[in-house]
Amino acid sequence: MNQISTFERIVRGLLIALVLLFFLFPIFWILLMSFQTNEQILRIPPSLFFEPTLQNYVALLTGRLQTAAGNLDIAFMRNLGNSLLLSTSSVLLALALGVPAAYAFARYKFRLGESIAFTLLSFRFAPPLLVLLPLSLFFRQLHLTDTYIGLIWVYQLICLPLILWIVRGYFEDISPDIEHAYRISGHGWWKTFRKIAIPLARPGIAAAGLLAFIFAWNNFIFALILASASKQPVTVGALAFVTASGIQYGQIAAAIVLSVTPTLLLALYAQRYLVEGLSLGAVKG
Amino acid sequence: MALTDSVRSSMTTATQHSQTATRAPARRRALRQALPYLLSLPALLVCIGILIPFFTAVYYSMMRFRLNLPMLKGFIWFDNYISFLSDGAFWNTLSISLIYAFVTVTGELILGLGIALLLVRPTRLNNAVSIMLLLPLMTAPALAALMWKLMTNPNFGILSYLVSLLGFENFKWASDPSTALLTVVLVDIWVYTPFIMILLLAGLRSLPKQPFEAAALDGVPRSFVFFRITLPMLMPYIITATLFRLLDSIQQFDIIYSMTQGGPGDRLMVFQVQSYLEFFQYTNVGRSAALLIVLWAITYALSNLFIKHWLKLRERAHGPA
Amino acid sequence: MTSLELRNVSKGFKSGKVLDDVSLSVTAGEIVVVFGPSGTGKTVLLRMIAGVHYPDTGTIAIDGEDVTEASPEARGVGMAFQNFALFPHFSTFENIASPLEARETPASKVKEQVGAIARMLKIDHVLGHAPRELSNGQKQRTALARALVAQPKVLLLDDPLRNVDAKLRYEMRMELPRLLRTFNAAVIYVTQDYKEAMALGDRIAVLRNGRIEQWAMPTTVYREPVSIEVARLFGDPTINLLPCKLEMNGAGGQVTVFGRRVPISGAYAHAVGRDLVAGLRPEHVVVTETEAPDAMQFDLDAVMPVNVRSVLYLRGAAGEELLATVSESESARFGRGQRKVWVRFAPGDLLLFDAASGQRIAPQVH
Repeated sequence: MNQISTFERIVRGLLIALVLLFFLFPIFWILLMSFQTNEQILRIPPSLFFEPTLQNYVALLTGRLQTAAGNLDIAFMRNLGNSLLLSTSSVLLALALGVPAAYAFARYKFRLGESIAFTLLSFRFAPPLLVLLPLSLFFRQLHLTDTYIGLIWVYQLICLPLILWIVRGYFEDISPDIEHAYRISGHGWWKTFRKIAIPLARPGIAAAGLLAFIFAWNNFIFALILASASKQPVTVGALAFVTASGIQYGQIAAAIVLSVTPTLLLALYAQRYLVEGLSLGAVKG
Repeated sequence: MALTDSVRSSMTTATQHSQTATRAPARRRALRQALPYLLSLPALLVCIGILIPFFTAVYYSMMRFRLNLPMLKGFIWFDNYISFLSDGAFWNTLSISLIYAFVTVTGELILGLGIALLLVRPTRLNNAVSIMLLLPLMTAPALAALMWKLMTNPNFGILSYLVSLLGFENFKWASDPSTALLTVVLVDIWVYTPFIMILLLAGLRSLPKQPFEAAALDGVPRSFVFFRITLPMLMPYIITATLFRLLDSIQQFDIIYSMTQGGPGDRLMVFQVQSYLEFFQYTNVGRSAALLIVLWAITYALSNLFIKHWLKLRERAHGPA
Repeated sequence: MTSLELRNVSKGFKSGKVLDDVSLSVTAGEIVVVFGPSGTGKTVLLRMIAGVHYPDTGTIAIDGEDVTEASPEARGVGMAFQNFALFPHFSTFENIASPLEARETPASKVKEQVGAIARMLKIDHVLGHAPRELSNGQKQRTALARALVAQPKVLLLDDPLRNVDAKLRYEMRMELPRLLRTFNAAVIYVTQDYKEAMALGDRIAVLRNGRIEQWAMPTTVYREPVSIEVARLFGDPTINLLPCKLEMNGAGGQVTVFGRRVPISGAYAHAVGRDLVAGLRPEHVVVTETEAPDAMQFDLDAVMPVNVRSVLYLRGAAGEELLATVSESESARFGRGQRKVWVRFAPGDLLLFDAASGQRIAPQVH
């Protein structure tokens, strides 16, 4: 593969450019739209050159949308806050529940552990509505509908298998003798877990946490079913916003930009763990 | 020796240590053996929290259960399933779900493999490109659908404008029954091709170098190398990635719901969209649950197959589980 | 006084029984070598004493106190692992200090004691380094220092010289006994190297298939191995084994090896008529270039220098193979082999084993 002809080099370059164009253009275009006024957006033919405006972002941040028909309140910032709250607490809970379990599954091979690990894995691939629809009825009886606690509980469905299987792999990669040596030195189980196991698996725990955060943030269906407007994250909120604001395309674009920016930044930051996370710990990048 | 003296004092503490140890051997033993179970207890609870609604759904699927008509509630065994056999809407759902999964995954596989091969040499440019390509995958699918909705808007969408330049005036994208599938498939491909790409890229880069070097030395034609060496060696990754995507794609909800809510008409009424509407619009819990159980049966079979291949890859990375 | 005592300890895993009815005792200041081929449960035995594994049956006592069910941290033993098992995120100092820190030793004393043992093991200049910056030899010494620093009553060494290079292994083999004496601990030392066992052990437990096959002083294991297997394991190059039969000839006996009758002690009279195997250690074979009384002629096939001795590969008239060792200075006389030589040995050096059971036949003195 060392001798690459000039022709091949050009073809490869062109293909890569095409690929980049297809995959990055939508993000780029929406970003442009978010800095345009409605008049600029509606102009035909569309132009790359325009006077950028921050009015869309200002409207979103202040929560007041001025239209010809009058003022409209937008709750978009609240959606953003909900996303942050739901994703963060779900990941923290999943870490608290998942890391000890991942450790147990990695260190002690026991049948119940394997059953739990594989049940959670297999429900990662079951239709989420299958669990959500009965839950929505239970939640009504338990008064958990439209509560953060109910939503965070359901988010474990995506966060927990991810954390369990990635972190388990990292624990499996640590030689148990290191922990044995620490205990023989005179330290109890809990101290060994905190001082040896956790720090050595930290990169895996961090990666799993970041990915779980991204997936929780990007989730749509859970909140669509279990949350009303005041508890909705951005994914659901943006759709509602489209319906409510009608033709305020600039603000929609700005809302989308604000909604995807956190995950895209996190993804770039955590990119070397993505392969491992996306394959649930089966492929190392 | 100084050391021996200085350390001797600490020996007394060591002895005290060991005397507290053996107080209740039976209890210690029980605690030791219970530890793995204690640690996995929370995960077990989540598991139960999933299994209870799951079995409830199985139960609902065998009921006449409409939220708006509570007095009709009753156990009817498999009537919901039997009614599917003669129900055109069900067959439409099944076929559109399968077509959607097949078309998206095929497209993503071909495109993903192609891009992975394009980027296989770990140059700085290629690595940068492969990282950039992750962005669509990390965009929430529901929001990706909205982005494409803006771009395909008939009034100002850039894509509508571009196709009009190509002579397709009034190209209606997702609102036209004849192009709706194409449009959502395009969004799905945009979001998920990077998934296949990045897995196959990791696979390609992990392949041993020797066979390729040997083939290059012997002057074996490239097509032969690709079909007889690269592809077979990459197969475990291809199978895992494909099954993974099939499992997700056959239950696609976010993109389709955000884009068209299953429309126009029933053109994109895939399983989860159909059962969502069945539940929330027609409040027919029984039928909605039965639809989901059918979908679950399909994914369950696929997921068993998937887990088998996935475990093989995992074993390569971490040793046997 | 007995510091460590194992009584009838058995342990099985899913794959089968690993240790079967093992009993062992070690007194303070004594080094007991557990010797055996890999996969015979040596490591499991150590780990049960350390508390990492627990026996299915049997008891373990340290200083007369039953610790069978105690947690590892409560036993106060020191252990050095074959793969070192250093804490990768701690410095060398913190690694060594960890047993002291667990015993809540005041910081000033920790510093003093870690410094003292590090000087003793010549690693005081790398105390600030992380384990990944250490050479294998330094890692090994750090692991040893960590095991020793709290002056444990029981010290477990799991093949500590396995992963270090030959030169260092040789040095440590000389240095370790002296070092260990100063600590007066009950030491269990696991190895599969018989020279290490000979050099370090006060007593040796030969472990095979989960059972202690022989439990004796090193010289006894060497001179009077209980079985063919022990004789084969304990010695390098391996012992020559020659099938033979014993006949009585008046008050004495005789066996036929290499087609020649060799007189042996009459104390073996009880073994007459059984199929036997005679064992002859290569170092007991005397090889000369010139004919000597009672010597047999052999072809010298090859000469292979191994450490300080050379191994001679010999072939008898009927094609029998025989190994012998000679000192390096002697080996020069044999060149590279391919010649005729004369071989003799003292009949008293022959070890006799029952061919069927593999057990050694001890001479019976009336």
